[in-house]
Amino acid sequence: MPFTELEHTADILVRVSASSLEHLFAESANAMFSFMHEQREGRSVMRKLSLEAADMDALLHDFLSELLFVAEVDNLVFSDIEVSISGPTLQATVYGEPFDPEVHAGGTEIKGISYYGLQIREEQDHHFVVEVLFDV
Amino acid sequence: MLEDLRKLGGVEWEIPIGYTPHMKVPGKFFLSDRLAAEVDEGAIQQLANVATMPGIVKYALAMPDIHWGYGFPIGGVAAFSLDNGVISPGGVGFDINCGVRLVTTPIREEDFDNRRELIERLFRAVPTGVGARTPHKLSRSELEKVLIEGASWVVEHGYGMQEDLVHCEQGGRMEEADAAHVSEKAIQRGIPQCGTLGSGNHFLEIQAAREILDVEAAETFGIAEGQICMMIHCGSRGLGHQVCTDHLKTLESSTKKYQIDLPDRQLACAPLQSKEGEAYFAAMAAAANYAWANRQMIMHNARNVFTELYGIDYEEMKLIYDVAHNVAKFEEHLVDEKRVELCVHRKGATRAFGPDRPEVPREFRATGQPVIIPGSMGTSSYLLKGTRTAMEKSFGSTCHGAGRVLSRTRAKKQFKGATLKKELSEKHIIIRAASNAVIAEEAPGAYKPSDEVVRVVDEAGLSRVVARLEPLGVIKG
Repeated sequence: MPFTELEHTADILVRVSASSLEHLFAESANAMFSFMHEQREGRSVMRKLSLEAADMDALLHDFLSELLFVAEVDNLVFSDIEVSISGPTLQATVYGEPFDPEVHAGGTEIKGISYYGLQIREEQDHHFVVEVLFDV
Repeated sequence: MLEDLRKLGGVEWEIPIGYTPHMKVPGKFFLSDRLAAEVDEGAIQQLANVATMPGIVKYALAMPDIHWGYGFPIGGVAAFSLDNGVISPGGVGFDINCGVRLVTTPIREEDFDNRRELIERLFRAVPTGVGARTPHKLSRSELEKVLIEGASWVVEHGYGMQEDLVHCEQGGRMEEADAAHVSEKAIQRGIPQCGTLGSGNHFLEIQAAREILDVEAAETFGIAEGQICMMIHCGSRGLGHQVCTDHLKTLESSTKKYQIDLPDRQLACAPLQSKEGEAYFAAMAAAANYAWANRQMIMHNARNVFTELYGIDYEEMKLIYDVAHNVAKFEEHLVDEKRVELCVHRKGATRAFGPDRPEVPREFRATGQPVIIPGSMGTSSYLLKGTRTAMEKSFGSTCHGAGRVLSRTRAKKQFKGATLKKELSEKHIIIRAASNAVIAEEAPGAYKPSDEVVRVVDEAGLSRVVARLEPLGVIKG
């Protein structure tokens, strides 16, 4: 499991670990969407994102916030996320399908991504870990 | 758990300056020994963090439903000086003006039939959960008006009565709102969602007033024993969440620009007298207005369900009051015997103004404002009144709910949605939710006992109990 849910009284706190920053970002997004929808499989729709931020923590925060925005406004459920990072810039290609209440309803709505405790750490060579708190 | 803290007596506790570096004022919170045994250390640390913020006045406060959040703890209250104080989205939260309203009906409990049909129809009339969209989609120009005019815009367009507005905190509208500071993204999220409930702990509940503890205040508020009521809990939906996200980013930069040193990045803030601080306040006020419009529209749709099913008049369903519990506002308070204007942040806390405050509707002014405290699913909710003691001790604030003790993960491990539904059904409480998982997450056992939280605010004098309401049916996202 690339992420584990940690104890947090009010909200959802996850620890994500990955062998690269790119995977860490993609898995953080997967973690977020897994709470919103139990089933995520379709790949009929594709979106591309490009973002820049002052540091990696802010970039992760902005990336997850942007995905939340696109999913809500375009009424999409994302299932597959590809990320590339170069310097302060992130490019992502995300695949999903239109929201279908019969398949996708019943999950937890995520209100936002908190900065609380959001600090990417490189624990050993090329092993990245971050804790992300989702307000629900 | 509460080592290094001072018990001041009764239910009042103090976090002394020095508990965490750079505290400018002490922290203060209200807990009985029973609640203190369960409080998160993380929440106490978050309260101490708030005490380090520039321009904070008197105390960083937390109500008895204090629990671990982000930025401020949930249940946190802090007032900032207009001269050197700050404003922070971390003291308001993502769900700007999440709040509660309580509506009475002319139906008596003994005559209350068709309950299951009522809950079904409410579930269809009020969109809930992830991906829910309103049947009353606003146009862009309508939404912009909602941001400025709040609940009054929706009432003028047929979704309610003028007297509803009088019975909303702030009249259902913050005048400081400026749509220019609300991003295009937030507007896009707001257009399809006005009149939707959301998920998590948001709900629409049908209740019976079971116990009247303050007959005079109950009469003033218009509630009687055995009366069927409706409580609605929700906020500003994606629009408010986006306003918080957008301004958090701007204020992150301002924190550096104004050289403010903070122990938590989520406490990002700007001086109240700065363009970034003013922009956030104006956008937050606009999102707060959207939330009042949202609750108004939900109430309107629910009232229509009642009129269709029971043949009662729309006008017979009175809004007692609507309270905001995630908001920052400019208010006058007494500090060192002087009246000063302060910016009061309440995050998971309710305004509880006592008698004689001009902000409280005329008919409630001698009593104190109505305060609505929902219980957890399946437990009692309370109607209380604001007090002069709250004005002295907590900037006119009280708690906002029961407060969680168990994480959602633990709740899901410990409780099963289907079993809970059956247990509640045996107590004659009908639940209609988008999934069984949400029922398990919101299990009564995941929350502090609402009776104890309310007993503590009553003992501390932060508000006084007027009536206890018991749930009969609930819809959830």
